[in-house]
Amino acid sequence: MTSIIKLHAISGAMDESPPCYILQVDDFRILLDCGWDENFDQDFMKELRRYIHQIDAVLLSYPDPLHLGALPYLVGKCGLNCSIYATIPVYKMGQMFMYDLYQSRHNMEEFELFTLDDVDAAFDKIIQLKYNQSVPMKGKGYGLTVTPLPAGHMIGGTIWKIVKVGEEDIVYAVDFNHKKERHLNGSELERLQRPSLVITDAFNATYKQTRRRARDEKLMTNILQTLRSNGNVLITVDTAGRVLELAHMLDQLWRNKDSGLLAYSLALLNNVSYNVVEFAKSQIEWMSDKLMRTFEGARNNPFQFKHLQLCHSIAELSRVPSPKVVLASTPDMECGFSRELFLQWSSNPHNSIIITNRTSPGTLARQLIENGGNVPLNLEIRRRVRLEGAELEEYQRKERENKEKSQEKNEDLDMSDESEDEMDSLSSVAKGKHDLLVKAETKVQTGFFKSNKKQYPMFPFFEEKVKFDEYGEIIRPEDYKMVDSNPEAEDNKENVDLKEEEITAADITEVPTKCISVTKTVRVMAQVQYIDFEGRSDGESLQKILEQLHPRRLILVRGTPDSTHAMLNHCRQWNGVRVFAPSRGEVVDATTETYIYQVRLTDALVSALELKKGKEAELAWLDAQIVVRDMSKDAKPVTMDVDDIDKEEEEKGKMEIDQIYTLEPLPLNQVVGHQTAFINELKLSDFRQVLNKNSIPSEFSGGVLWCCNGTIALRRHEAGRVILEGCLSEDYYRVRELLYDQYAIV
Amino acid sequence: MSARKKPDSQVPAEESDLLLIRPLGAGQEVGRSCIMLEFKGKKIMLDCGIHPGLSGMDALPFVDLIEADEIDLLLISHFHLDHCGALPWFLQKTSFKGRCFMTHATKAIYRWLLSDYIKVSNIATEQMLYTEADLESSMDKIETINFHEEKDVFGIKFWAYNAGHVLGAAMFMIEIAGVKILYTGDFSRQEDRHLMAAEIPNVHPDVLITESTYGTHIHEKREERESRFTALVHDIVNRGGRCLIPVFALGRAQELLLILDEYWSQHPELHDIPIYYASSLAKKCMAVYQTYVNAMNDKIRRQIAINNPFVFRHISNLKGIDHFEDIGPCVVMASPGMMQSGLSRELFESWCTDSKNGVIIAGYCVEGTLAKTILSEPEEITTMSGQKLPLKMSVDYISFSAHTDYQQTSEFIRILKPPHVVLVHGEQNEMSRLKAALQREYEDDPSTKMELHNPRNTVAVELYFRGEKTAKVMGTLAMEKPRPGHKLSGILVKRNFNYHMLAACDLSKYTDMTMSQVVQRQSVHYSGALPVLRLLLSQVSGNVEMLEEKKMRVFQSVDITLDNKIVMLEWIATPVNDMYADAVLAAVMQAEILDTTPSFFPIQSKMDRMHFKECLIEMLQEMFGEDSVPKIFKGEKLYVTVDGKKANIDLLNLEVCCEEDEAFQQIVQTAVTKLYQSLAPPRTD
Repeated sequence: MTSIIKLHAISGAMDESPPCYILQVDDFRILLDCGWDENFDQDFMKELRRYIHQIDAVLLSYPDPLHLGALPYLVGKCGLNCSIYATIPVYKMGQMFMYDLYQSRHNMEEFELFTLDDVDAAFDKIIQLKYNQSVPMKGKGYGLTVTPLPAGHMIGGTIWKIVKVGEEDIVYAVDFNHKKERHLNGSELERLQRPSLVITDAFNATYKQTRRRARDEKLMTNILQTLRSNGNVLITVDTAGRVLELAHMLDQLWRNKDSGLLAYSLALLNNVSYNVVEFAKSQIEWMSDKLMRTFEGARNNPFQFKHLQLCHSIAELSRVPSPKVVLASTPDMECGFSRELFLQWSSNPHNSIIITNRTSPGTLARQLIENGGNVPLNLEIRRRVRLEGAELEEYQRKERENKEKSQEKNEDLDMSDESEDEMDSLSSVAKGKHDLLVKAETKVQTGFFKSNKKQYPMFPFFEEKVKFDEYGEIIRPEDYKMVDSNPEAEDNKENVDLKEEEITAADITEVPTKCISVTKTVRVMAQVQYIDFEGRSDGESLQKILEQLHPRRLILVRGTPDSTHAMLNHCRQWNGVRVFAPSRGEVVDATTETYIYQVRLTDALVSALELKKGKEAELAWLDAQIVVRDMSKDAKPVTMDVDDIDKEEEEKGKMEIDQIYTLEPLPLNQVVGHQTAFINELKLSDFRQVLNKNSIPSEFSGGVLWCCNGTIALRRHEAGRVILEGCLSEDYYRVRELLYDQYAIV
Repeated sequence: MSARKKPDSQVPAEESDLLLIRPLGAGQEVGRSCIMLEFKGKKIMLDCGIHPGLSGMDALPFVDLIEADEIDLLLISHFHLDHCGALPWFLQKTSFKGRCFMTHATKAIYRWLLSDYIKVSNIATEQMLYTEADLESSMDKIETINFHEEKDVFGIKFWAYNAGHVLGAAMFMIEIAGVKILYTGDFSRQEDRHLMAAEIPNVHPDVLITESTYGTHIHEKREERESRFTALVHDIVNRGGRCLIPVFALGRAQELLLILDEYWSQHPELHDIPIYYASSLAKKCMAVYQTYVNAMNDKIRRQIAINNPFVFRHISNLKGIDHFEDIGPCVVMASPGMMQSGLSRELFESWCTDSKNGVIIAGYCVEGTLAKTILSEPEEITTMSGQKLPLKMSVDYISFSAHTDYQQTSEFIRILKPPHVVLVHGEQNEMSRLKAALQREYEDDPSTKMELHNPRNTVAVELYFRGEKTAKVMGTLAMEKPRPGHKLSGILVKRNFNYHMLAACDLSKYTDMTMSQVVQRQSVHYSGALPVLRLLLSQVSGNVEMLEEKKMRVFQSVDITLDNKIVMLEWIATPVNDMYADAVLAAVMQAEILDTTPSFFPIQSKMDRMHFKECLIEMLQEMFGEDSVPKIFKGEKLYVTVDGKKANIDLLNLEVCCEEDEAFQQIVQTAVTKLYQSLAPPRTD
């Protein structure tokens, strides 16, 4: 009956590499996340490829590349072919992340690890779920159910619960955030009671956060100071995850009239910003209670930004008046607009660069966090540029030759023109085959309906309908007022400025281009600051949550060796917990012997039970014996899921018992006495309140609860042992009775 | 300890097998949906609507028949007034303290729909059920549930499926102690422009509570209906007429808007003809429609990536009749849907005399409303001011109402095969026709046993479910394979109708509960001497173990320490040990009041084995005759023979064995044990 449980840490163990694990439950292998680091580590991929065909299901936790970055490659290039599970926002936003990542890379180099088609193919495989929706696995995984639970951190962020009915409940929770944020609820991990196995990261084990208010103030002052000194602020954020929190917060700040920010501009710059915001608007039900309530109450969508302007290219951004605050992807500054802006702005001491996320070691953002600004940096600058002059001619000549050749070929045999096709497809990738790429905002509708303004054939002419009442024409006071306000108040800045011409930069691939690379030493003069907007639980809370969760087994993954060891040592103090901390590539065997079988309870047995109330459950002592009962004697068995499973498992021969036995009460004379069990753990402080309620005076002194003027003492020794001490008196028995009431005694 | 009570004759509600389904509204009627479920001591209310045809307290379902504070859970299927209209009243004005759930979209629209209802009925009736403030504060008590999300409230497990019908409409599957009940609310199995067809649950419910609005009717095909509609609209505007479509502000209106917007974009020649939509409520709620696209069908969800289909290109909002320029052909959608009053009525009255104009009734009409009247094509109609007007404009009826029809219901039931079907939300005749039709369908099918019920309001359907209880035996208890006759004893943990059986030591391993130990130390003054105390203790318990000089143990559980005129008792609390301790205490006190110290102390009484043997032989001779026992024997073995049957007695462990006759063995055994007990000092183990 025992399930084999193994965890293979392919990446993300004892270091800060992205999480990617294979969890094996019996014969069923689940890939938990498949992140890829910023520089697309090939070693890790080599390792993973070896197991690719064994994987039966993939569970994704968050939409960022750290958690699903390798998915397009795995599906497109390695032939991963199995069900992939993710929540709806992870699906939608994940796609945005990958589009943006691809485009950012494509804008600076020949990026061939995966194509946009691979992204689409990978995401088409995703089965979209809601929180708390249980999904039964099929085939080898029969009897397993996976359930996504809210995790905070990013929209749709998931803690996965993998349950083998009655035997194992495995919780995979990484990077979660227990704290409520502006746009997200916190995780409720601690509500899961005693899972048999928890897999969690130790990334933040030794990390302390500043308080939210202090952090927000720091950001605010930084922004204000920079803007006032006429500098620009670059905030590096991700594409569609944490950016929502920042964008929402900043837009709210801008709305505050006293903030003094109205004079400055605020922009969101990434390749898919329009879509990200659109999706965010339609995912209110995944956000915090507070946002939901304001939406239900006032119907204003929190992601209908008033001040944040959406940009899709540097050219668009340049039209946003400076000084400005720009939220740009990617957070690591290895590619994308954040890197371009960094190169542009870092030399000016008035500018400010705010990093919001600790990305992998070695990335530009991480270097800046660790070394601070004002250090010369050797940077490789890669760009995609148009072909010009001789090169262009050369290219065109080749192109012509190719064409001629292919025509010749076509004349010869109408078959293989694959090589050209490949080239063509490469250059046409960004042409608009994928509708989610840069969108030209030709005409932006502000209201929900067609605006009432008509198209006039020649010139605008309004025919006033003259209205009369008994006194003649109705006087409209507005006619005599000074004209000051513009009637269309709903217009948002979001839509301003983007109307006119097509953005040239977007179509860069339509003209022949090449990628160039130069190495340059950059001296960062701008102010560099790291302000934590990661949205992860801090080390102390992590420990508290785990202690509350009290798993039977615990696997610690992802985190520097230091923090992992710190966590490991802490967790080993708890009793009854087996803790593992695998290193990269290691396989942890977390199998434990579990015994379980099912019995039917007779009515006589159930009705004779003396149930005592315990914490959240009722308890009773039971002496009974197993008998065989004819199934048909029982009334129609209610179709329970468990039964169904049992039946099917019977057929499969998986169950070792071929029938369910019945439990009958033991005749009284055969009952052997048993040791009485006191169930519950008493807290002296709680008990003191009980005493107070019964008007028995009590006080604490040196860890001892003294009752009735010091005649009776209550001590609590090691876990679960309470000593009641006192003189013989009536009070003694009263206190004892109250004490007994605190326990379920069976 | 495991003393047991006799099973009560009165079965507690929790153990009862009776499932009650009682409609407090919508039983053989349409409107004020409110159905009570009672099972295993749990009470659930499904929907809490008002009757649109009645006002004030009369419109409420029969909630006076139940105790609001006993209800654990209240589920609202969708935002129509006849399903949620009484909710603010129920949440704010009764003692209800359970939890209330609806889907996100329902909650967002509910707020505005009811606020509109309050405004409208403010004029009509003095005895308002609730105010805007009540509605506002009811919002905090409503929790939201996503489709397919499983919730567990007080052991009631439930989740929602898409029901079609309107945005956010849900069917609820409720599971209590393994019995599953599916409440469909209003549903439609036909996919339309923006809503998906009602999902078919992949689990089979034991009871299906379904609507029966359309009884045995069969709807026209969607494509036909739509093309008939668009052709009609096109025809009316082509002939230079004005087209009036009275609609209810939310729900089906959005579907019509989508159809018209699409039709207009496909027909450029129509671009000059304006479409107006006159409803402030709808405008308010468009944000909700634009947001909760995830509750709609795949088509919409895919489209959202490109543009929001609820941003209409050809439809303008009309704030009121004052803003309307009536200058030529146009299409106007206006509420209310049955033209009782308001904008749709006004427009109708001003247009009805022109035969070029046309009106299209697109929804369900209640008897007595103008919409219902004109369907019979009268010559004249009476205006609001009492004037008579000739009815010349064309009148057409195309139902876009998204309720299930007979075909859909029948298919739905055929797939789910529930053993019990309860019909609600249908007019009496329609309902009985549907019941008869369904009965006929399964008449000749012996493999399907289906019971159909159509309860009237306040009449309960009683169903019995022999809930079978199973327990899981886990941990050390389960290490041994189960076999008949195997005895189990351990702790049974019951949580939300689930039973687990564990060994006491495994408790903390499998649950969050822990075993504790209570140690008691009781002190009492004692001024006497130790030997006296010891004597008396030996009288109570027989065997006194001396642990240290001044510490002894009796009953093998209570430690007694004499220290400086204080006797301290220490023991681990259990009911038995407490009793022992009380006995010891009594002995201590007895010793205290002994005036004179006894001059002699009897030596610890020792079992005299020889004496026991003599007595035994004597007794057996008395019982079975002189010759039954051998006169002389050695060692610790003895036998007794009666009627040729021989019983061997082992004197050391007092075991008797007789292979031939069990009864004889029993008799001898009893005799031996009793004799030993009467001779030996009291045993405490």
